[in-house]
Amino acid sequence: MTRVQLVDISKRYGPTAAVEHFNADIADGEFVTLLGPSGCGKTTTLRMVAGLVDPSGGVIRFDGQPMNAVPSHKRNIGLAFQSHALFPHLTVARNVAFGLEVKGTPKAETERRVAEMLEMVELGDYANRMPAQLSGGQQQRVALARMLATDPRVLLFDEPLSALDRNLRDSLKYSILELQRRTRKTAIYVTHDQSEAFAISDRIFVMNEGRIEQAGSQLDIYLRPQTEFVANFVGDNNGIPGEVTGLVAPGGEGEPRLVDLVAGGIRMRGLDPGNVRPGDKVVAFVRPENIEVLANGHVADAPNIVRGRVDQIVFEGPTVRLTVDVDGTPLKVISGGLERLTLLDKEQREILLRLQDVTVVPDDPAVAA
Amino acid sequence: MASMTVDVSPHAGRGSGPRWFWNALAHGYVWAWMAIFALPFLATLIYSLRTPDGVWTFSYYQYVFGSFRENLLLSFETTLITIVINLLIAIPAAYAIVRYPIPGKSFILSTLNLSLYTPAAVMGVSLVIAYAFLFRIPQTMIGLIGAYVVGTFPLMLVPIIVALRDLPMVFEEAARTLGATRMQTFWRVELPLLGPGISAGILLTFVIIFNEFLVTLFIAGPGLTTAALRVYNLARTAGFQPSTAALATTMQLVSFTVVLLFFHFFGSRYLKGTYLI
Amino acid sequence: MVNRLRFRRASRRGGLTHRHGALLSTYGETQMTHAPAEIAIEYEIAERSPRRWLSTPRARGMLLLAPAILVAVLFSIIPLIYLFQVSLTRESSFFFNAEYTADNYLNVFGRYRSAIIETVYLAGVASILDLVLGYPFAYILIRKIRYREFVRTMMTFPLFGPLYLAFGLFYVFLPTGPLGGVFVLLGVDIAKYLFSQAAVLFSMAVFTFPFMVMNIGAALANVDPLLEEAARTLGAKPWQIFTRVLFPLSWGGIVAGFLMCFGWNLGVFVQPQLLGSPKEQSVISLQMFLKGLVQFNYGLAAALGVLLMVMAFAVTWVSLRFSRGALGA
Ligand SMILES: Nc1ncnc2c1ncn2[C@@H]1O[C@H](COP(=O)(O)OP(=O)(O)O)[C@@H](O)[C@H]1O
Ligand SMILES: [Mg+2]
Repeated sequence: MTRVQLVDISKRYGPTAAVEHFNADIADGEFVTLLGPSGCGKTTTLRMVAGLVDPSGGVIRFDGQPMNAVPSHKRNIGLAFQSHALFPHLTVARNVAFGLEVKGTPKAETERRVAEMLEMVELGDYANRMPAQLSGGQQQRVALARMLATDPRVLLFDEPLSALDRNLRDSLKYSILELQRRTRKTAIYVTHDQSEAFAISDRIFVMNEGRIEQAGSQLDIYLRPQTEFVANFVGDNNGIPGEVTGLVAPGGEGEPRLVDLVAGGIRMRGLDPGNVRPGDKVVAFVRPENIEVLANGHVADAPNIVRGRVDQIVFEGPTVRLTVDVDGTPLKVISGGLERLTLLDKEQREILLRLQDVTVVPDDPAVAA
Repeated sequence: MASMTVDVSPHAGRGSGPRWFWNALAHGYVWAWMAIFALPFLATLIYSLRTPDGVWTFSYYQYVFGSFRENLLLSFETTLITIVINLLIAIPAAYAIVRYPIPGKSFILSTLNLSLYTPAAVMGVSLVIAYAFLFRIPQTMIGLIGAYVVGTFPLMLVPIIVALRDLPMVFEEAARTLGATRMQTFWRVELPLLGPGISAGILLTFVIIFNEFLVTLFIAGPGLTTAALRVYNLARTAGFQPSTAALATTMQLVSFTVVLLFFHFFGSRYLKGTYLI
Repeated sequence: MVNRLRFRRASRRGGLTHRHGALLSTYGETQMTHAPAEIAIEYEIAERSPRRWLSTPRARGMLLLAPAILVAVLFSIIPLIYLFQVSLTRESSFFFNAEYTADNYLNVFGRYRSAIIETVYLAGVASILDLVLGYPFAYILIRKIRYREFVRTMMTFPLFGPLYLAFGLFYVFLPTGPLGGVFVLLGVDIAKYLFSQAAVLFSMAVFTFPFMVMNIGAALANVDPLLEEAARTLGAKPWQIFTRVLFPLSWGGIVAGFLMCFGWNLGVFVQPQLLGSPKEQSVISLQMFLKGLVQFNYGLAAALGVLLMVMAFAVTWVSLRFSRGALGA
């Protein structure tokens, strides 16, 4: 129903920039997540969309209309807070009715809508309770019902689950997604929890220090990180500085372009970031779960296949975590499946590894500094 | 506060005397002081209930509802008017101080609180002169209420500021995103949530104005004798009379009832840092 | 029919694969392109139309503050300035043909010096009494007592004002009073203390006692009881715990409490009148009333008022530096 555009949005607090040059074009009905460490400007961005913070620069548009001058209460948005922010002096039903009441909705209509919303979040029997009499999960569900009651154009979530315990978080995040899918509303969801972001988003914006580092689908972000920050922040990773040795001729139409490089003394072939030449300094990233332990008998003389000595073994149940020393470069390796059990007696022994899905990121001296 | 009730007697482990002795002494000390707090009231109460011949009687209370009635009604009237004006002044002021970017906030706050630190007699003498020769409103109700308001609205201001600072912005923001205008947000969300702070302000204004006699003594004219001033006048001119004691007892009982009601509903949280505790 | 949402426990499907449709995003490119030229125009549109000064937050805040400021200026600041002006004129000449003179102040520091000394003496001694008696009270209240709200409630009696207090105590000092029998039993001639300095000091100390307890109590509540335990386990004796731990840590509360009591007691009026001898009745507030409202020597009353006000403000100013009141920095 509503396309949300943020065009070159910035927010400065005195000399510090909370958000800089934020550009996003969010399609009608899309579920977008802003992911990043604490203090990177996620909340500020969201609050600018909500109209609670005035941007220092840039334009926010809903369906093409500039929204900057429209006050918060006329934007028709729904905002879910980290603390549920239910009004403590009103019953559950009056909380849900609030948005309808202030808009002067007829009483009968309001009551019908409140009952419908409470049914939807399965709290029909709690209408006359006070918020303090509900559990944390129930409170957050009432907050969702309250936010949806006014049929907002855009749903905004600011870490709505971070105050809840893990199990509740897991179930509620799918409830939120289901609500959004059912209502087909555009949603912007802020979180610092990557598993949350990966579970529910159509698209993830990874933010750092007020800027977008990378935007894309889960697979883009996870498998093709474009900056060192994204590679390190999302998931676990081995980052190995090295140097490009050559570009590999593309294998065919649609095949990924590859480069050869040497990093930490290891010959590797990885995904071409598109802007490197032979001799460039780069960082190669390979995720611990993408390192395969090879059975004996393989030959080590091929790119991405290395021999190393097992320094440490940690048995974690479904996985085994190894630290492998490859010519002085420590590599984190995670092994699952049945073969993980065969590794348990390999401490201080040599094993053969295959590094898969190596990604390459230019070594930006500015970032390093 | 309850968590602070860790028993750490300075005397524990001391050789002289068992622990219970020091505990009893500590509690005894506090109870002795409570007796002293209540003593003047109890003495007044007893005196108001006995004839000079030592017969117990309620007869002196007929004066309270007889010749003192006018004074009591005036006290209630002035107190009520002062409370209403204080609310109308202090709520917007507190709101501005906490929620708006105002230059020189602490200077403004000190200026507003100036009258709080002015000794009552100084306020009385400055107002009696200003009313008579500058404003030309000597011995009027307007003058009296003006003095009461300026003397007590800072006491209304402080608890409301405390309550407003304690009130997280998310409630206001939630209301705004749900479509409420600024006014709707204030009436439907903030005002109810500020209830305890506002009640604290009302309590303080009540307790002080209802019992105020000193500024009143300076500026009130003949027709404006409040009950507290009547007590003072009678104590000065008629000596120690049971009928005066009956009026003083009534005043204190009314005040204490209001305090008890407040503590019952709101506790002492919003009175911290103010005149009462 | 209402659509029901299942708030079930999450199915344990992996985050990446649970929705295949969303895997390949249609918005795959990073949107970090620089702002197109059209934005410049959009800025114009989005820029709020020029507003009158009234709608800026600052102006609106000042508007909300205006009634309060008006009241303070009209009924506090202007009268005080006026008082100062009157204090510089002879007797009541100000209102007819003003004769400016410093006589009133010479008078205040001359003939009324003993009144100033008496006021400061009474206020000082009463406040010291409060401190010495109030510190243990505050300590016990904060550390040992569970019925704290009850004690607080009882402590409101003195705050109803010194008038009822002095009035009630008057009866207590009579031999026929409620405690007459007790005093006889103790062999105390209580009537001797009526109209004495002791009676005045006692009533002053009781009136301001809650202020002292409030300030010291607030300071002590912020001292972790574990510090005392730590000191004890390190071998400190009770008085060492007091001098080395409690006293330094509650110093701010002590100073604030003392000055607050002192400030209130400087304005003492009714207690000397009902319970004191002529010597105590020379306190500044009473003199102001006599000179101003009985003898109509406004100039002198105003000068006494200015002096009392300056003392009270000085005391308050210092005490606010030390207090952790609700509006503390
Ligand atoms: N009202 C404010 N005043 C000053 N700085 C602020 C304000 N709000 C946020 N900031 C700063 O802006 C940056 C981004 O904050 P925020 O958007 O809350 O981050 P996040 O939600 O990602 O944790 C932080 O450095 C924060 O300190
Ligand atoms: Mg945040």
